[in-house]
Amino acid sequence: MSGVPLLQARELVRRYTMRRGLMGRPVEVRAVDGVTLALERGRTLGLVGESGCGKSTTGRLVLGLEVPDGGNVTFREGPMPPRQTAEWRRLRARMAMVYQDPLGALDRRLPIGTQIAEPLDIHGIGSRADRPERVAQLLRDVGLRPDHAQRYPHELSGGQRQRAVLARALATGPELLVCDEPISALDVSIQAQVMNLLAEVQERSGIALLFISHDLRAVRQMSHRVAVMYLGRIVEEGDPDAVLHSPAHPYSQALVSAIPQPGRGGRRIILQGDPPNPAARPSGCAFHPRCALAAALCSRAAPVLKPLPDGRLAACHVAHGTVSPRDGMPQQRAA
Amino acid sequence: MSDLALPATISAAPPRRRRVRLPPLVIFAIGWLSLMLLTAFAADLVAPYPYTALDLRNRLSPPVFMGGTWLHPLGTDELGRDVLSRLIVSIRMSLLIAFGATAIGAILGVTLGFLAAHFRGAAEQAVLALVDFQASMPFLILALAVLAFFGNSLPLFICLLGLHGWERYARIARGLAVSASSQGYAAAVVQLGASPWRVYTRHVLPNIASTLIVSMTLAFPEIILLESGLSFLGLGVQPPLTSLGNMVGYGREYLTRAPWILLAPSCVIVLTTLSVSLLGDWLRDRLDPTLR
Amino acid sequence: MVRFLGLRLARALLTLVLVVTFAFIVLRLSGDPALLIMSADAPPEAIAAFRQAWGLDDPVWQQYLRYFTAIFRGDLGQSMRDGRPAIELVAERVPATLALTLPALAMKIGLGIPAGIYAALHRNSFADRAVMLLAVAGFTVPSFVLGLLLVLVFAVQLGWLPSGGQDSWRHAILPVLTLGIGGAAVLARFTRSAMLEVLGQPYMRTALAKGVPWHVAVRRHALPNAAIPTVTIVGFMVGSLLAGAVVVESVFSWPGVGRLLVVAVANRDLAVVQCILLLVATTMVSANLIVDLLYGALDPRLRAQAKGANG
Repeated sequence: MSGVPLLQARELVRRYTMRRGLMGRPVEVRAVDGVTLALERGRTLGLVGESGCGKSTTGRLVLGLEVPDGGNVTFREGPMPPRQTAEWRRLRARMAMVYQDPLGALDRRLPIGTQIAEPLDIHGIGSRADRPERVAQLLRDVGLRPDHAQRYPHELSGGQRQRAVLARALATGPELLVCDEPISALDVSIQAQVMNLLAEVQERSGIALLFISHDLRAVRQMSHRVAVMYLGRIVEEGDPDAVLHSPAHPYSQALVSAIPQPGRGGRRIILQGDPPNPAARPSGCAFHPRCALAAALCSRAAPVLKPLPDGRLAACHVAHGTVSPRDGMPQQRAA
Repeated sequence: MSDLALPATISAAPPRRRRVRLPPLVIFAIGWLSLMLLTAFAADLVAPYPYTALDLRNRLSPPVFMGGTWLHPLGTDELGRDVLSRLIVSIRMSLLIAFGATAIGAILGVTLGFLAAHFRGAAEQAVLALVDFQASMPFLILALAVLAFFGNSLPLFICLLGLHGWERYARIARGLAVSASSQGYAAAVVQLGASPWRVYTRHVLPNIASTLIVSMTLAFPEIILLESGLSFLGLGVQPPLTSLGNMVGYGREYLTRAPWILLAPSCVIVLTTLSVSLLGDWLRDRLDPTLR
Repeated sequence: MVRFLGLRLARALLTLVLVVTFAFIVLRLSGDPALLIMSADAPPEAIAAFRQAWGLDDPVWQQYLRYFTAIFRGDLGQSMRDGRPAIELVAERVPATLALTLPALAMKIGLGIPAGIYAALHRNSFADRAVMLLAVAGFTVPSFVLGLLLVLVFAVQLGWLPSGGQDSWRHAILPVLTLGIGGAAVLARFTRSAMLEVLGQPYMRTALAKGVPWHVAVRRHALPNAAIPTVTIVGFMVGSLLAGAVVVESVFSWPGVGRLLVVAVANRDLAVVQCILLLVATTMVSANLIVDLLYGALDPRLRAQAKGANG
């Protein structure tokens, strides 16, 4: 893809202060810790990782819903305007979001049609007389019937609700759509339909997608490029087939091996140690306490995300050949 | 109020409308409150005499059921004023104060709660400190202090009672607004580019309306009791105006000779607060079981 | 735990500061005390002398500071009517009020909590309905109506008890009953709903499913958990020991703090009103502090958190 990317995020950092319990001392948590990504028009970037790795926060940062503590976001070559200014609000028409829980994202008191028309009201697009026709068209575009406009959210099925959320997101003709776990709350049988719909919409309108999911197979099916996140950082990024067929980072390898596949018994990598806790980030490479290949260097120096010979990016001392696996580490018990 | 309540009920109910079976006590409550509202609105039409009119030939005459005449169905007081007429005018006054004060409290509380939820930080801490302060002081004492310092007038009195209970609305509005904007529909509408005004008035307020209405029905009887208590002490509504509490306070002097002066307004106070409480409990069970 | 207590103490002090500020602001907004006290046609020299004596001509912030320091020294001003220190006037009324409110508190707790627990454990039984009906009635009948009805029945009709005054213990019976019945009703209602909520919790079902006998489950799991909201209400009742009898004292002409307050308000005797306001606030805040301490004892989560914060 040529030209300047539609969306660029550089070295995004987002910190939260968290209290444990009512009286606990505040602990600083780096939910996102130096994430850089770029997305071109009409393309899809998949962001994958387990819950709590900062992928949703990254989505909210690139939309400008949260203000980064470090780094910056450029959209259409312009910087993100300050939150809740008129300019920031105007930009909402150009970027939209689809949520994990469509029922929560819809106002349960208003009929679907009113809610789909709401962005048009907010941004003053089209005349009031054209609204019903526009809403009907949007409903057809996402595979719903125009008569669904009169229904309330609780009267629709999960998949229909997600389609309604998508119709509302597409109402202003945005150029960027952030999908935050759009299918994980849906039945498996509906997931494929919604993914196909997203692909269809992209084909038709050339919209750019940031597809956030913990489901590797969904990400692979949807994305032109994949980024794997672990504890607030991107640890591997590249072509989906390459990342999923021969993952370079040990964490990606563990993720890929966790995909159930018929006839491949016994080769799963079971991660050891505690699940990641962003409040107590390990030194060096954040993954080293759980990594089967970790060497002594891994607990001291954080690896940098840099290209491998085949062009994809990885942040791992072992993958880059800086150290050999388990070099200088005491013998660990077998998994 | 009712046009806010309607959509909330629709969304809570399943699409097919089932007929609601009303418990007998709730029917009684609705009936009594309708009677009270009608009386209040038509006070000038239904009152047989002007409430200050004296009938010196029939002073302290007993009500019909205690051997009196139909001339004064509920009897007269020491000055020969018709108890029924005074009662009707008092109902209007007490309901006016209670409605006014409830509305003021709700508007004040919801506004402060939304401000706290929207701005967070120092504004939120200030509102929460005020809420704590209000919740930790017996309101009657605060009200008495204000009355001592400011003296009394009807608008001031209504505003003062409006300060009762604002902290509950503030707490509810803040809590629900915070949870609505941290995730869910309010955050989604913000992402669509809606202004805070639009988010709070078009989305958050209608969604929390049923909870607020339930709290209003719980606060309403408390305000009636507060008003009548202060008026009973002679520190609320001032003569020549009259309210239910005033009538009880006045009738206390004639407790032995003419108990009817005091009993009629007492019954109205008890039945009205009872009805609103019953209705409130029933509404709470139907609309918002989380509230206690 | 120290941190927890520190926070609570800070909040209690903040509430007191707010009350003092409230009194000061209201006092300043309410108009010129000189004109309120002296009649409007008093000679100007007399008004000027009054202003001088009370420091009303100084800048507001100086008055505020002076006000604060005076209160911290325990100087709550003199009754503007008879010139005696306000605190003395109030203090001599306290025993009379406590003579009503303490027995009433015992009655509220002794009747209300057992009734609420019984009603909850026998939900939908006749006793439950009766308790609830009485509780709703107790809430909706204002204390002055209840008091006057008791007078009407026991003093006027039956002639058993005196209707007002403070001459013997028999004079206290009707006011104590009036206070106690209403409070017991409120407490019964609260205890019942707290118990019902606890009884519906999964841990109760778990305990019963494990084979724990019903009465043991109630004693070990339900009562301690239901105690937490109930303690809050009892705390509020303890806090209003001084302020809770304003109306009832007036009904029975009982010379307590509440009666003094009503008279002071009617006469606009600001020093006395303010003194009672501060006294009530202090009682209330202390009671809240005690409730917070009890929470720590009752709620192991708070205990654990407090330990966690320490260690």
